[in-house]
Amino acid sequence: MSERPQRRARLAGAAVALTGALLLSACSSGGGGGPEGEGSNGGGTEGAETLEAVTFADAEASTGPAEEVPDATPGGTVHVLQETSPSHLDPGQIYSAAESNIAKLMQRGLTAVRMDNDGEYSVVGDLATDSGTPSDDGRTWTYTLKEDIHFSDGSPITSADVRHSVERTFAPFLTYGPTFLQQWLANSGGAEYRELLPEGPYEGDHLPDSVLETPDERTVVFHFEEPQADLPYALAMVGYALVPEDGDTREAYDQEPLASGPYVIEEFRPDRSMTLVRNEHWDPATDPARNAYPDRYEITFGHTTDDSTQRLMADNGDDRYALTFNNGVDPGNAPEVSSNAEYQERLAQGYQPFVATMAINAERVTDLKVRQAIAYALPLNGVLNAYGGAFGGEYAGGLISPLLPGYEEGYDPYGKLANPQGDAERARELLEEADAVGYELNYVHHTATEDARAAVAVEDALEEAGFVVNRSEVPQTSYYDTIGIVDNGYDIYRSNWGHDWLSSATVIPPQFDGRQIQDGANNYSHVDDERINSEIDRIRQITDPAEAATEWFELNKYIVEDVLTQVPLYYYKMNVLHGSLIGGADFNDDLGTVDMHRIYVIQDEG
Amino acid sequence: MSSDTQVATELVGRSPGQLMWRRFRRDRVGVVSGCVVLFFFAVGILAPVISWLYGKDPQTRYGQIEPGLLNEFGYPVKPNGGIDGEFWFGLEPFLGRDVLTQLVYGIRTSLLIALAVTVLATLTAILLGITAGYLGGKADFLISRFIDLLMAFPNQLFFVAFLPIVTTLFVDPREETPTYVRVVSIIVVLWVLGWMTLGRILRGATMALREREFVEAAKVSGASPWRIIRKELLPNVVSPMLVQATYMLPNFVTTAAALSFLGVGLVEPTPDWGRMFAIGAEVYRADLTYMFFPGVAMVVFVVAFNLLGDSVRDAFDPKTNR
Amino acid sequence: MLRFLLRRSLGAIVILLIISAVTFFLFYAIPRNPALLACGKTCTPDQLAIVEANLGIDKPVPVQYWEYMVGIFTGRDYPIGHCPAPCLGYSFTDNRPVLETILDRLPTTLSLAVGGAVVFLVVGLAMGMLAAWRRGTLLDKSLSSASLVLGSMQIYFLGPLALALLVHNNQVFSQPKYEPISEDPMAWFGGLLLPWLVLATIFTANYTRMARATLIEQLREDHVRTARAKGMSRSTVFFRYAWRGSLIPIVTIFGIDLGSLFGGAMITEFTFNLPGLGRLAVDSVTKSNLPMLMGVMLFAATMIVLFNILVDACYALIDPRVRLA
Repeated sequence: MSERPQRRARLAGAAVALTGALLLSACSSGGGGGPEGEGSNGGGTEGAETLEAVTFADAEASTGPAEEVPDATPGGTVHVLQETSPSHLDPGQIYSAAESNIAKLMQRGLTAVRMDNDGEYSVVGDLATDSGTPSDDGRTWTYTLKEDIHFSDGSPITSADVRHSVERTFAPFLTYGPTFLQQWLANSGGAEYRELLPEGPYEGDHLPDSVLETPDERTVVFHFEEPQADLPYALAMVGYALVPEDGDTREAYDQEPLASGPYVIEEFRPDRSMTLVRNEHWDPATDPARNAYPDRYEITFGHTTDDSTQRLMADNGDDRYALTFNNGVDPGNAPEVSSNAEYQERLAQGYQPFVATMAINAERVTDLKVRQAIAYALPLNGVLNAYGGAFGGEYAGGLISPLLPGYEEGYDPYGKLANPQGDAERARELLEEADAVGYELNYVHHTATEDARAAVAVEDALEEAGFVVNRSEVPQTSYYDTIGIVDNGYDIYRSNWGHDWLSSATVIPPQFDGRQIQDGANNYSHVDDERINSEIDRIRQITDPAEAATEWFELNKYIVEDVLTQVPLYYYKMNVLHGSLIGGADFNDDLGTVDMHRIYVIQDEG
Repeated sequence: MSSDTQVATELVGRSPGQLMWRRFRRDRVGVVSGCVVLFFFAVGILAPVISWLYGKDPQTRYGQIEPGLLNEFGYPVKPNGGIDGEFWFGLEPFLGRDVLTQLVYGIRTSLLIALAVTVLATLTAILLGITAGYLGGKADFLISRFIDLLMAFPNQLFFVAFLPIVTTLFVDPREETPTYVRVVSIIVVLWVLGWMTLGRILRGATMALREREFVEAAKVSGASPWRIIRKELLPNVVSPMLVQATYMLPNFVTTAAALSFLGVGLVEPTPDWGRMFAIGAEVYRADLTYMFFPGVAMVVFVVAFNLLGDSVRDAFDPKTNR
Repeated sequence: MLRFLLRRSLGAIVILLIISAVTFFLFYAIPRNPALLACGKTCTPDQLAIVEANLGIDKPVPVQYWEYMVGIFTGRDYPIGHCPAPCLGYSFTDNRPVLETILDRLPTTLSLAVGGAVVFLVVGLAMGMLAAWRRGTLLDKSLSSASLVLGSMQIYFLGPLALALLVHNNQVFSQPKYEPISEDPMAWFGGLLLPWLVLATIFTANYTRMARATLIEQLREDHVRTARAKGMSRSTVFFRYAWRGSLIPIVTIFGIDLGSLFGGAMITEFTFNLPGLGRLAVDSVTKSNLPMLMGVMLFAATMIVLFNILVDACYALIDPRVRLA
């Protein structure tokens, strides 16, 4: 589990920082997210309970077609308003939410996560007949491909294509995609996995059968050295969607990929628009995860969040058939959207996976009392106001997202929920106890408006409490590179983390394992604590997911209360509007936005 | 234009300056706009005093510290941007600072920058414009081509693109960038492309003057070029210079504000007039009032300066038509 | 005329060369490595080197500049593919040819500039002529004051204000957006109307004042007075002779304004969220996308220089007395 889900965290941070409101765009729902969950009931934490029921589906539940969405009718054109256009179309290069939300309409992998009509989530077999059959304590996973599955050029999908898709993720030109699977297969961390197959499959080398086996046209067997219970989750990522062995054009595939899902690209003008039309070679009978009701998607890019929100609010012309995957309601429109019932009906709300924290560099700020003083002094409202207030997030007491199993509501050891403006007096007392009044803190943030605005509050509040703050800023694009350097010279910096799937195992180990401290790694606070390390090893051995979830949360308590190298700030939320003639716009907690597989066009009456 | 003033001097025995002042005082619009301009400068200079009298400062986050002032989205709870007896111009959304003191200090920063650029640009224009006009020949050719070159730079694009670069030239990006460095960068960037119009005017004026009898006379009498420029040419280009400078200053204020609006100007927590427009554009749907005070202040300021410029021009040169 | 055009074009090329050099050297002198951004998360030193080579930033700056300039005229081969002339390089952020993106954004900027220019030229001239014609009357005074106040407005104030009052509070206009004219002329017009008006408001004021001033001056010219003395009616003189003379200063300013608008109306595009060259430039700055910024800068400068030449050429057409030496 030495994976580094850094990119997701980084992209979240980048997105947030870029256009203040874009941040708002990655959320997911607390509201249970079921079909009835859209609109008014967003924001609650009951979603967490729903999510504990995520199941790995069997063959029956993995058979297409997907369960019908009530009242849905096929046909029509859906307009999607997005801010950033995808930089990549090659599934192997896709990791960020904005890119994968679009790619999910075109690409299929071995597994997929499906939200059903009751708002229940399951990992189903997508191109595979089920979510996978583990053996040898989870060290071996066997998948069987469905029949009648084709790429958009009509060629059948076989196990050779799966092998090729896995092997090409090792190729040097694929640098943006997820790395979980590669690292598990190579049983190594960081970028070392590339040594397993340095050139990918392109120079005639292949993974040995001891790692990846394809005994016949339809069977794929993964062999790992360690148990990998989360493999079905990982394989559902777009980054592991299938690329054909014959049609793979390597670097050029990024421009013109084939599709395996319900839609293919008809036209793509980067930064401007993308038109998706039906893929004739997609057979709904093989697909349990996608309803694919609309005939056509017209996706346009370059919409700032206030532009898209404004248009969706006005609900005129084509905008009635419009929605957005990633443009949350901007702070300028949030008060009006939240106070007007007309907009509430067209609003999907929920949590994003991300938790914002203030990381404290454990190697520099060694006194726990000083770290606690920082925690008491930090003005959560100052930070959250900058990032969109109530629509941007919800004050956090711990490091585990409300979406994750094991989450305990109301956990708040420093009383921040009642005192979001910070407690300067308590902080000053602690500083005095530690004999550290006037303690100098090097604080770095990035230059985007929101972060600069948050920094004003942070600096001000810390100085009020008796710290001396040296504030500096770096461009947003290099922010995570800057704080990712072990010897970065900074004491405090904001860092966001989002789970890659619904398990705290993708939250605590990457951020707090002291053996993972290196340049570019995700242990941004550089904490190396005996107990954390040993607990991580212990909890990983627990096979019961529910028990593990509870144990992870307990470990989170220990970190927040006794180690405190990251002060929780807030849980990111997402609020997306859609036009009045869009149906099935249910919030999906796994995606952190509207479920694109369920939407349909409400046909004009008469 | 100088001939008129000279003739007048002979007849009545007043200096051109006195004459100009007399004419200016008779121009009511000019006097009023002059007062408004002075008012803005007074506000800028006296910002700390105003803040002290009013009992608020531009840095304190009133709305974040005192519960009940901002709502869950970070907007003022009270209507009209939170205007009340406590906060006369309301509260800034999100950070909850006082708008009045923000504006007053923002005006202070903007005027400081604009004044510095105006002085620098005027000096540059005098130096290069008069050199080109007086020396002519190669020097004139070089300077004129240089002006052509700078004129071909797309202004706004140049500012936006080069400001971050100029800043990184002064400071390692990893270091904290002191506010003065940002201010200096803005001044430098605006200055580089800010002097050419005046430069051209001065070059033209000097060329015309060069051929005039009194300059010829000075030359024949053996005066050094430096003396001729100082004693004969400079006093005669004062009027176009002053007029042009009066037009330039509000231009620099608005250009600097535009930079902040586009997100490349001064950064938090330095109060800045231009950034208030960026915030205004961000929040107008929920809090239109916020934009009102900085906006109206800017319009009044620019109008006053333009009227003042017209009046100064008329005072120097009664022949021009209004 | 031909000699004039040749000479001016030569001068223009020299100016553009210098601008490109200054821009290039300043941009690429900044101590920040764009390759790191483009390399991705599992970037090893080897990969970084590949990315640097792809971006063409592994060589000394003067060499890069030389290759860049040669590329404009002959095209250029990058590891990721051939970039045909005129090649402005590849964008750092999305690996597409810079020129392609610029051409893609150009229609927005052109639509905005041309539409705005039509409005401010027509309205500005009409109001200026009216004010000059009715000189000294209440109409003249109110037109002059209005143009003064409107001309002192800034787009970053007027734009959001118009959006708030005319789009958000009372739906007089629809939310501004850019729709290609080829696809839906009505949507194109409707989406750009408000940006045109706001952009034009600021310019109109200038043109009103200028047209008025030059017309009044013209009315005092000898040939106009002579015509009047010979018994021509005031309106004949006004509309047949006087306005011609006032064209020269207006054409000059118009050419300059148009030239700079074609390079991107940054604040207007930013305010109304229109995907033109100005927005592209601002985005490129925040993403340190140097090739893109370089391309936009060169394009904008070319427009300015080009329009300067056009303006000079127009002089000759308007006023035969002007010789193009």
